[in-house]
Amino acid sequence: MTQEIDLSQLPAPEPYDEARDTAQRARLARAWQEPPGWKIITAVNNSNIGKWYLLTSFGFFVFAGILALMMRMQLAVPNNDLFGQELYNQMFSLHGTAMMFLFAVPIFEAVAILILPEILGARDLPFPRLSAFGYWCFLIGGVFVCGSIFFGVAPEGGWFMYAPLSSNKEYSGLGADIWLLGLSFIEVSSIAAAVELIVGVLKCRPPGMRLNLMPLYCWYVLVVAGMILFAFPPLIAGDLLLEMERAFGWAFFDVDRGGDPILWQHLFWIFGHPEVYIVFLPSIALIATMLPTFAGRPMVGHSWIVLSAIGVAFLSFGLWVHHMFTTGLPEISLGFFSAASEAVAVPTGIQIFCFIATMLLSKVRASVPMLFAGGALAIFVFGGLTGVMVALVPFDWQAHDSYFVVAHLHYTLLGGMLFPLMAGVCYWYPFVTQRALSDRAGKWAFWLMFGGFNLAFLPMHWTGIMGMPRRVWTYDLSDGWAVLNMVSTVGAFIFAAGFAVLAINVLWPRGKAPLVKRNLWNAGTMEWSGEIPGKPWGVRSIPYIHTRYPLWEQPEVVGQMDRGEWFLPDAEEGRRELIVTDILDARPLYIHRVGGPTFLTLGAAGCLGAVFILATYHLWALTLAFGAGFIAFTLRWLWTGTSEVPDAPRKYAGRGLTLPTYAQGNRSPGWWAVFITMTGDMTAFMGLVFSYFFYWTALPDFLPAASQLPAFGWLLAGFAALMASWLMTVGARRLLGTGAARAAMALLVGAVPVGAAGLAAWIWSAHSVGLDPTAHSYDAMVWILILWMGLHLLLNSVMHLYVAARIRAGICNRDYRADLMNLTLFSHFLALTGIVIFALLALFPLLMGAA
Amino acid sequence: MRKFTFLTAALLLGGCSGRHNWLSSAGAEADRVEGLFWVLLIGAAVIWSSVIGAAVYAQRRQVDPGLERQARWFIIWGGAVIPTIIVCSLLVWGLVILRDITTDEGDLTVRVDGERWWWRVTYDGPDGDVVTANEIRLPLDRTALFRLTADDVIHSFWVPALGGKMDMTPGRETTLALTPQKLGSWGGLCAEYCGGAHALMRFDAVVMEPADFDAWLAAEAAPAQVAGDDPGLAVFLEEGCGACHTIRGTQAAGPVGPDLTHVGARARLGAGIYDMTPENMARWITDTHAMKPEADMPPYPDLSGARLDALVSFLLNLDHAE
Amino acid sequence: MKPESDKQPEGFGPPGDAPRIIDQGSIWIMVAAPTLWAAHFVASYVLAAVWCAKIGPSLTQPRWIIAAMGALCAGVIVWLGVRAVRRYGGVFVIFEEITESSERGRDKFIGHVSLLLCILSVLAIVFTVIPGFVFGTC
Repeated sequence: MTQEIDLSQLPAPEPYDEARDTAQRARLARAWQEPPGWKIITAVNNSNIGKWYLLTSFGFFVFAGILALMMRMQLAVPNNDLFGQELYNQMFSLHGTAMMFLFAVPIFEAVAILILPEILGARDLPFPRLSAFGYWCFLIGGVFVCGSIFFGVAPEGGWFMYAPLSSNKEYSGLGADIWLLGLSFIEVSSIAAAVELIVGVLKCRPPGMRLNLMPLYCWYVLVVAGMILFAFPPLIAGDLLLEMERAFGWAFFDVDRGGDPILWQHLFWIFGHPEVYIVFLPSIALIATMLPTFAGRPMVGHSWIVLSAIGVAFLSFGLWVHHMFTTGLPEISLGFFSAASEAVAVPTGIQIFCFIATMLLSKVRASVPMLFAGGALAIFVFGGLTGVMVALVPFDWQAHDSYFVVAHLHYTLLGGMLFPLMAGVCYWYPFVTQRALSDRAGKWAFWLMFGGFNLAFLPMHWTGIMGMPRRVWTYDLSDGWAVLNMVSTVGAFIFAAGFAVLAINVLWPRGKAPLVKRNLWNAGTMEWSGEIPGKPWGVRSIPYIHTRYPLWEQPEVVGQMDRGEWFLPDAEEGRRELIVTDILDARPLYIHRVGGPTFLTLGAAGCLGAVFILATYHLWALTLAFGAGFIAFTLRWLWTGTSEVPDAPRKYAGRGLTLPTYAQGNRSPGWWAVFITMTGDMTAFMGLVFSYFFYWTALPDFLPAASQLPAFGWLLAGFAALMASWLMTVGARRLLGTGAARAAMALLVGAVPVGAAGLAAWIWSAHSVGLDPTAHSYDAMVWILILWMGLHLLLNSVMHLYVAARIRAGICNRDYRADLMNLTLFSHFLALTGIVIFALLALFPLLMGAA
Repeated sequence: MRKFTFLTAALLLGGCSGRHNWLSSAGAEADRVEGLFWVLLIGAAVIWSSVIGAAVYAQRRQVDPGLERQARWFIIWGGAVIPTIIVCSLLVWGLVILRDITTDEGDLTVRVDGERWWWRVTYDGPDGDVVTANEIRLPLDRTALFRLTADDVIHSFWVPALGGKMDMTPGRETTLALTPQKLGSWGGLCAEYCGGAHALMRFDAVVMEPADFDAWLAAEAAPAQVAGDDPGLAVFLEEGCGACHTIRGTQAAGPVGPDLTHVGARARLGAGIYDMTPENMARWITDTHAMKPEADMPPYPDLSGARLDALVSFLLNLDHAE
Repeated sequence: MKPESDKQPEGFGPPGDAPRIIDQGSIWIMVAAPTLWAAHFVASYVLAAVWCAKIGPSLTQPRWIIAAMGALCAGVIVWLGVRAVRRYGGVFVIFEEITESSERGRDKFIGHVSLLLCILSVLAIVFTVIPGFVFGTC
């Protein structure tokens, strides 16, 4: 057992023995092979899930792209009645929705799931079943949202769904519900992926890969997944408010009842602007990974790129109001956001000049991926410059919601995201399929796409200057926009042709084509160390890494890995095993066993999908039934696949390293997953807190008279009960640590009714003074906070009973109590939520002198 | 009629013309932004060429170790220092322009209320409110302060030739100052997507000499001159049009739709989208949704012949010509 | 005494990942400086919003409050920068080659990136203070 691996003291590997090698390979293959035939749908390997995720995202991209082409056809000539108003409104709403939620973000997750473990020299991500679950949620939700257009009920409120257009049922129909519930469902899967990727980068690095040696791609994944964690939850909070208004008439956005439509814009754009960078950074990460390969040298200014990624991530949260410059906020407020919008150009510039400096110090080999990367640079820099323009408030007052902005955003998104992604597709295609793409077709695809793109979008800047607003389905000849629009339409079709060439090139069956050679591009990162033909286990043995570009600087490591000379070369117990390491220095901590193929995740995703879909149609009984099904599948999945008590407390991992087979607390990936998930959950809750203060600022009489406030005594009593419930959980953890299993169980079970009593007291405190959520925004706010607590308590109770049952079954005991530790962590966050709600409902009005 | 006339096409397609163009210098506020725009455009062209030039240079240049100094210079100056200076100056300049073009006072106040999908316009006349719709007249070189509200959903008020846009949000009032500098009829639009017929929510902003404007406002303030036995008025009232529309001087006082007191004096109908001709008016009344899908006004397909003609001629005669 | 969560089955295992405050062996210093920018940004925004909604049109006072908060945050960031240099060994270099495979190397890398983030954060705070000095009223 060691903290630091000292290479010089590491015992030499055992001499190579072919029989042993063959036997080990057979055992590894048995543990990692994918299920045969149709059962492949139960697969959870990152290579399967990643591939499906990628293809599905591209499927949605094609769908949204066809919508774009249809829109371009409609706009090609003035006074066109090809598709008409209603369908056009649905098309552009769905185009934006699908491109952002079903393509741009998921494709990041898809690529990361596919290549991150291999870049980390790991066999898989820490929670493969969670990836599978996320994928199925994404597929079901995406098909549900996109399919709506074939029934004429697609959302037609724009991808931004502004209230009151979206909140008032007179103005919007089922489409808005489909949007809200379908996308909430998909956001859940995005957050699941973010949790998985953060834990993957932090805890599943190969031994020795310290933070200063971590590849740039991993930094970007870490940063972007962190951004998802803080950006998506406010939108989920907003979705909750909006859907409560739509389904039950709660007063959040209706001005006649103290609501405010601007609140939705805040919640949407707190998500919406970081989203742009969530989309952009992972693609820049692809360039940062490819460029050193073709330059044949390490990235110049590695740390400056890390700086710029972190800097952009933070600053991007200070930009959201630049989508709201024309809402009439005070000028000084606009000024802050204009300032941050300008400041974000600085780290972005650094990033780009690091690439240029790398090119300066090397000779970049010409290749299709670099062609796409060059095109990306040209397009993105232009989009960035128009971005600096629209960040200036007076300029934005003209450009906002005109075709100038359409042009700007497509320049940033296609230049910053799509072209790098296409470069990545060409670069990693041989990694995934082990066949080579046609170079000639690749060049054709690039030039068609690049030319078509500029032909379509460059004139659009001018269309905007000529005053054409966004989201119009028709215009008149006398407006003077006809020629420019026709040019854009032609360009769009050329672009589409280019993409079709690329798609055919990628999808062309190459079953009989020769395999490519190993590390085809002569890259320095670990994902190219894989054997050819590929094996299901990812890496034969998990190496010790002590350089940034292991395949260049530790060339001997590939042979050693192949011969099984490094860690975990075997799967004696037939289990899928990973090494979990620590965050700073990647010291091996323990051997993490992950689940194999299963129907449980499919069942859970199917049931959860049904819950969201049925709720759209207000079929509450069925919704509840499927909700119960979801809980049952999930509990079974957790019970059989997580925190198992190992057969032996430790295991020999090879090269003199013996590691524990179980971990709990902050060294286990599970604990970090709970911590990260709950951070996201707290962010959503902060979205509600923000809403409360927003109303307080915007409405002079938000706080009602003292007699209308929730009864203080009951609030206090409920708060005390909730805190007691939390302390019981904490106590249970302590007791179990001393071996008092029965007492711990009793406390856990007892905490459930105590918590319920606390919630009941809160409900009574609001009910007794007659607060009616449909009457006024204050009442609705109070009830939504109590509802938030109620939903969490429900989950909390299920988990308490689950852990109590685990203790009873002996799976959770004095030595092995990860479940209870994770539950305690959850209840800490719940206690914090309770404290904040109590402060908002009971203390804040007191402070303001309302009582 | 929105017609295809190749002659107008040839006239209007040539670059900077167009009634919605930001760069037509028709308003003081638009002028400030135009000045900013040309600097930004030239600056962007220079920066873009420099960055791409740097990349091309970096790729073409023979590799030699002495280039490290240059590479360092690229990152520090090209990536960090120069961009910081540029964006910082732009920020200050942009904020100063913003401060200059926003004001709480104007030479006249115009209240505009966004409706689905038309504009209710109210002037402060000498004898109280003057209500009209879908056409805004402004005196030359006077700062008009627009007080903007909305009733149903969010709209956005935009006359590109005169200046920037401002949202109209239910529950709050926003303001926008515009100072026209050129005579003419400029195009106005709804810039925020407001559902259904958002694309067909336009208006005309007509800039007049101040004296003409005063005369126009006085005429607009006057009630309609209608003969009590006008057959068109009879049809108007029989068909119940007065439940939604107001014609001051008659018993029609509906508050829902656009005020029609002087509808014949406007250049367009249907919220700035069709020329005000008898054919268009007749079609608008009988087949509204073909001209503007989802509009709130119900069509009257059964109206025809003499009754329709009387109604159309009555409406078109509601002008200032008396 | 070890925190309870660090106790592993049979007391076995190397130290875990207990979050450490800003000191060697902690990564919090990397996000500390941008977090201060974010805190200042939010505080300025809230102050201006509440001031304009509840108090009055003159921005003279908030302007100086925002500037003072900015100075305070910048001061803390400078302190962080000094920590990054002294305790972590962060240096201001462009061709960083901190690829040494050791705890010291990792610390130097973190110190170096933190130092850069400190500079960026101070710059961003200066940007946030500017609007207050352009506008006199809400």
